[in-house]
Amino acid sequence: MERKNFLKTFALAAVTGPMIIDSCKKESVSQSGTSTTTTTSTSTTASATGTCVVTPTEEEGPYPYPGGEITDPLSRVDVTESTQTGVPLSLTLVVVNTNDNCNVVENARIDIWHCNKDGYYSGYAGQPGVLGNKSYVGETWLRGYQLTDATGIAKFTTIYPGWYGGRATHIHIEIFINSVLKKTGQMAFPETISDLVHVSTLYAAHGINTTRNASDSVFGDSATDLANEMLSLTGSVAAGYAGTYTIGLAL
Amino acid sequence: MYKAKVKLVYKQVIDEASPSGFEKAIFHASYQEFLLKSQAYNRDGKFKTFSKIKANDGRANSLHYKLSFSVLHFIAQLDNKMPVVRDNLGNKVAFDVARFELIESHVDDITVHKVAINYETEVLTMVELMGEYLLLSAGNVDGMEPVSTFMVRMQPNLAVSSYQEIPLQQMI
Repeated sequence: MERKNFLKTFALAAVTGPMIIDSCKKESVSQSGTSTTTTTSTSTTASATGTCVVTPTEEEGPYPYPGGEITDPLSRVDVTESTQTGVPLSLTLVVVNTNDNCNVVENARIDIWHCNKDGYYSGYAGQPGVLGNKSYVGETWLRGYQLTDATGIAKFTTIYPGWYGGRATHIHIEIFINSVLKKTGQMAFPETISDLVHVSTLYAAHGINTTRNASDSVFGDSATDLANEMLSLTGSVAAGYAGTYTIGLAL
Repeated sequence: MYKAKVKLVYKQVIDEASPSGFEKAIFHASYQEFLLKSQAYNRDGKFKTFSKIKANDGRANSLHYKLSFSVLHFIAQLDNKMPVVRDNLGNKVAFDVARFELIESHVDDITVHKVAINYETEVLTMVELMGEYLLLSAGNVDGMEPVSTFMVRMQPNLAVSSYQEIPLQQMI
């Protein structure tokens, strides 16, 4: 019944909608047109007088996000949502074209996502792990995207990832140019630093990652690839880390 | 007498014909995200529909949750109240979790795009079942004190998704 009522309401709105639009057309024309055309004018005749035209009504899209902004809330530098604690990690990612003298690429969209300090991802259910089986359906933390600037750089503020059974510590990346996927990859972490982070206060309950880079199912198949996927880190557990990585695309 | 602990789920199917601004926002945002994220499982663009992409690469099933991130901010505006289902007094029924589902899509044809949002309630006590009406209560129900209840009529796309019978001795 509720659904039916809803549809009835909508059907009524659909009937009354055009009537309101028509009355607006006449009103706007009568205000600007000559006195002889006020009762019969339409937007077409108004246009013919050369004084004004009724602005066409078009689809409401692209449907603004909450708050009215056009920008997707996931377009953000800080992906922690102030809820994810951990050792701070600031990322500076550079996109270059290997087929163009390694020149930087502007307006490349970089998506990142990674697990939190306990090894869980936002967004889905049934995740086993150190805190037991967890569901984070409906949550978006530690996910976001940015466009590279004129220097080819996109920056993110996040936390050092934890880890989950079976995988070396990593951050996922995807790069789109003009909405076309150009690269899916993962950034690896130097284990000497990961091991320090993972025994620090906030991570200590889980401890050191038992899956090493060289034996990882993704990174372990090629030492060369691993070296080329390694994030370069400076900093400390106390001060946080700055990570840089250059994403080479053969465009 | 308390019959069971239950969860209700309402499935809101959204497609091109869906009329509300909320539905249109979900429809368009999720379609744009489908165009982006489906490429990972369709690198040479050989397949057009989600069904075909999924049949070719089972990992495309992750698009259900990957697309959800594009619409979660719209769902958050619902303030945990289901947009369609109301109790018999006209109050919106509260949900706990909203799960996004990609039903079908097409990389060249937005009119094929169809998604669903499954709104699931917290655990409720089903006090009584009267024909097609469920008498429900949220919160703790121990049988010792009067409890607040609300009544919901079973309707299309509304189902009981979890059921745990309360043993007879606990109803005394």
